[in-house]
Amino acid sequence: MRSLVRRGAAPLVAGIVLALAACSQGSATRTDEPAAGGKSTVRYMNFSANDGHEKDLDAIKAAFEKANPDITVQIETLPYADYFTKLQTAVAGGTAGDAFELNYENFVTYTANGSLAELTGVDAAPYKPSLLDAFKADGKQYGLPASFSNVVLFYNKDLFEAAGVAPPTASWTWADEQAAAAKLTDKAKGVWGDYQPISFFEFYKTLAQSGGQFLAPDKKSATFNSDAGRKAAQFLVSKAGKTMPTEAQGAGTPDFDSKLFKDGKLAMWHSGIWMFASLADVKFDWDVVVEPGDTTKASAMFTNGAVVSAASKNKDAAQKWVTFLTSSDDMVQARLKTSWELPPVADTGKVSSYLTAGKPANRQAVFDSLDATVLPPVIERQQEMQDAVTKELSAAAAGRKDVPTALADAQKAVDALLK
Amino acid sequence: MKKRNAGWVLFFLAPSAVPLILFTVVPMVSSLWVSLHRWNLISPMEWVGLDNYTHLLSDPATRDVFLHTLIYCAGYLPLVFAGGLGLALLLNQRLPGRAFFRAAYFLPVVTSWVVVALVWKWLLNPTSGLVNSLLGALGAPQPGWWTDPTWALPAVILASAWKDLGFVMVIMLAGLQAIPQDVLEAARTDGAGAWQRFWRVTLPLLSPSTFFVVVISLINGFQVFDQVYVMTAGGPSGASQVVVGQIYDLTFRYGRAGEASALSWILFAVILVITALQVRGQRRWVHYA
Amino acid sequence: MREPFPRYLRFTAVAVGAVIMLVPFLWTVVTSITPDGSLAGGPTLIVKDPTLAAYRELLDALPMWRIALNSFWIAALATVLQLVTGSMAAYGFARLAFRGKNIVFGLYLATLMVPMQVLVVPLFIEMKTLNLQDTYMSLLAPSIASAFGVFLLRQAVESLPRDLDEAATIDGAGHLRIFTRIVLPLIRPTLATVAVFAFMGSWNSFLWPLVVIRSPEFMTLPLGLSTLQGQFTTDWDVVMAGSVFSIVPIAVVYLLAQRHIIAGIAHTGIK
Repeated sequence: MRSLVRRGAAPLVAGIVLALAACSQGSATRTDEPAAGGKSTVRYMNFSANDGHEKDLDAIKAAFEKANPDITVQIETLPYADYFTKLQTAVAGGTAGDAFELNYENFVTYTANGSLAELTGVDAAPYKPSLLDAFKADGKQYGLPASFSNVVLFYNKDLFEAAGVAPPTASWTWADEQAAAAKLTDKAKGVWGDYQPISFFEFYKTLAQSGGQFLAPDKKSATFNSDAGRKAAQFLVSKAGKTMPTEAQGAGTPDFDSKLFKDGKLAMWHSGIWMFASLADVKFDWDVVVEPGDTTKASAMFTNGAVVSAASKNKDAAQKWVTFLTSSDDMVQARLKTSWELPPVADTGKVSSYLTAGKPANRQAVFDSLDATVLPPVIERQQEMQDAVTKELSAAAAGRKDVPTALADAQKAVDALLK
Repeated sequence: MKKRNAGWVLFFLAPSAVPLILFTVVPMVSSLWVSLHRWNLISPMEWVGLDNYTHLLSDPATRDVFLHTLIYCAGYLPLVFAGGLGLALLLNQRLPGRAFFRAAYFLPVVTSWVVVALVWKWLLNPTSGLVNSLLGALGAPQPGWWTDPTWALPAVILASAWKDLGFVMVIMLAGLQAIPQDVLEAARTDGAGAWQRFWRVTLPLLSPSTFFVVVISLINGFQVFDQVYVMTAGGPSGASQVVVGQIYDLTFRYGRAGEASALSWILFAVILVITALQVRGQRRWVHYA
Repeated sequence: MREPFPRYLRFTAVAVGAVIMLVPFLWTVVTSITPDGSLAGGPTLIVKDPTLAAYRELLDALPMWRIALNSFWIAALATVLQLVTGSMAAYGFARLAFRGKNIVFGLYLATLMVPMQVLVVPLFIEMKTLNLQDTYMSLLAPSIASAFGVFLLRQAVESLPRDLDEAATIDGAGHLRIFTRIVLPLIRPTLATVAVFAFMGSWNSFLWPLVVIRSPEFMTLPLGLSTLQGQFTTDWDVVMAGSVFSIVPIAVVYLLAQRHIIAGIAHTGIK
């Protein structure tokens, strides 16, 4: 027994020492403690810098720290797919940063729960008014818009020329789009005329384009099961199998539509301006145009904002950072240089270099689309609503339900979420 | 006598019991506490008592996800067990290059679901997949697989069983090593044929490993998540949604962590009962030394 | 005495099966060396203009060697810890008699019955309370002991004939000596098996490290690889290169462990 103790003592002590060492916190957490010399640290969590723009964000951070020598910014970037899992857990555990990024769809959930600090004394001048308003709740400013992007109609010029069809213009309607798509689809050659995802995001937009309303003004009920709604849903659903592949043929799988377009097998494509960079090396001529509307035009706009946590101990410093991140010229330069979404600035002169930054030629369409935009409808139970609507539309697209039934079921589901 | 034994019991069990209590049991108890509240993670919890449980138990969606999970287990277990056992038997004998083969069969177990899911989505593609092409050539009906609510779950089962064959194989291989060769030799000299030797000698002596595979596969099967998430995301139209898929959605996407915890405790109860039944029944068929 | 399945038939079946099993991995490799490789269009084994560009991009985007080393050390530690704690508990359950043994074992099994998705948030809050969030220890803590390993090892120890124990006790050996000198060597195949699964479980672990780690020096491989997937687009060739990076070490661990799993000891121990 004694030999056991002797033999076991040394490894045991070593083990305890190692275990204690293993309990020391990593560099990122250690800097949470207020440093000596009055320097404060602002922790910022985000997702939009992931996969290609980390250096741009670092450039903005460096410029901020130069202008504010008593504030250090610590950035944590996560991929979008995992961002909210981490953020929610961090908020639950009390380790969320001083400031973080939220997309517009999730903003409402966070304001409704008092997790965000009100931003006071905000200078509204640099921002596009519609974007600034998007991050208000109860008339108070709870976030600042960091960037925006929108959806346009991409088209393959070569395919249009080869088929002898006039390319799309800003005055096209759904009817024009459908007619062209029919002429451009050649299933024998594997060429499709028009791809538009069948999802919540496309639906609320086409609903707006046909004059419908997703939610009632008091937001207590859903109103999309209307004639306009049925028309919009039918417009979307009818494309599956006719002008674009069906779900069974792969539609909806990651990168399916972008690959189809890049391979030159797709004549028209509804997608976001974030795809510009990835189409730079494509071998055919392409351009974009404002999306066709039905009774009216409506373009989907998406915006990400930066917010300050209500639990932050450095709210002033955090607000300074967030203001710099969302309105400084350094930020505008960094974004435009690498086409990292669009800065939310009111002064369109500042973004004029965007118009000549390369393909597509008709970048003006991006700004023209801003004349008639529709933001996503948001409710507190946002994700459930998105899932419910997409589920019903997919069922209709797959032929499992007819459009009126699917739409009625979707509205019933959304109404249940609004109680 | 008892005092001496107590010391040994503590010595042998403490190194595992303490971490398990600290890092698994404590969170489990916390989640039980959470299940009695409404909580969206980002704001304080709200006490609701047993509301989450009554709501879940009366919701047909709960019954659906449990049914799907049950079907998954019922389909997955026989396939993966028979396949894994067969592989272990084959690869336990002298075959040229068997080390390579054992590694090859284990490779899918360590390959990420992203790739395996895509392979199976391609294999079971309703219009252009290999399987349906073969079925068509044989004149058999071609199911809609991923796009068909009836066939989406079977498709996930097939892919999962295939991927985990190597897992069962490894466990059974280890179990086969414990079977003394002289017992098999004695059986052979007694005139027992290959099938009899397998049924009367090998299988019973493998029963501890079999018991393990069955219990663990069921415990894991009831908690299946990754492959469903990656392959069907619970679709089409929720036809392949499983319990843990629902738990994940409730916790991280719908902000209903209280309900998610309650659902996981209902699941726990189900798994516990099934495992307890198996543990009790092992007397009848599991032969330890 | 005719064998029901002739050797060559068995071999062919095994070989064909093995090739099928290798397809996903081969497709991963092919995609990683295809310029602008993508995963659309079904598995292909044809490579046009193979290039290592994806691997160069991978090493550019992430400090792969450091991250892989991180993951390796954590997995290796987790494996050793699980082997030690697991085999000791297995011996305790299989060879010691005590009141409530089955209930305690049931409690061990119960720890396997609540999914990680539910435990992650309470465990994270617990770590924060202990001020252990974002530490090496927090990464290891849930892996120090595993009821999975305890269960598998218990089955193995139960299968050992007790005559050996009894013989040793007569010779004056106590539990510890029996455990280390007799039981452990005889359950080597199962220990190797548990080692493989413990290593794999830690190596591939994603949700817990995602939630508990903030500092870049603790980043693990799955976390690093997840950053390669963009919000809208993904460079699949780079992601697949990352997958290859991730699979090769476990395959190596498995190959090394295999030799111990198939110990080939024709033994009964009853000498």
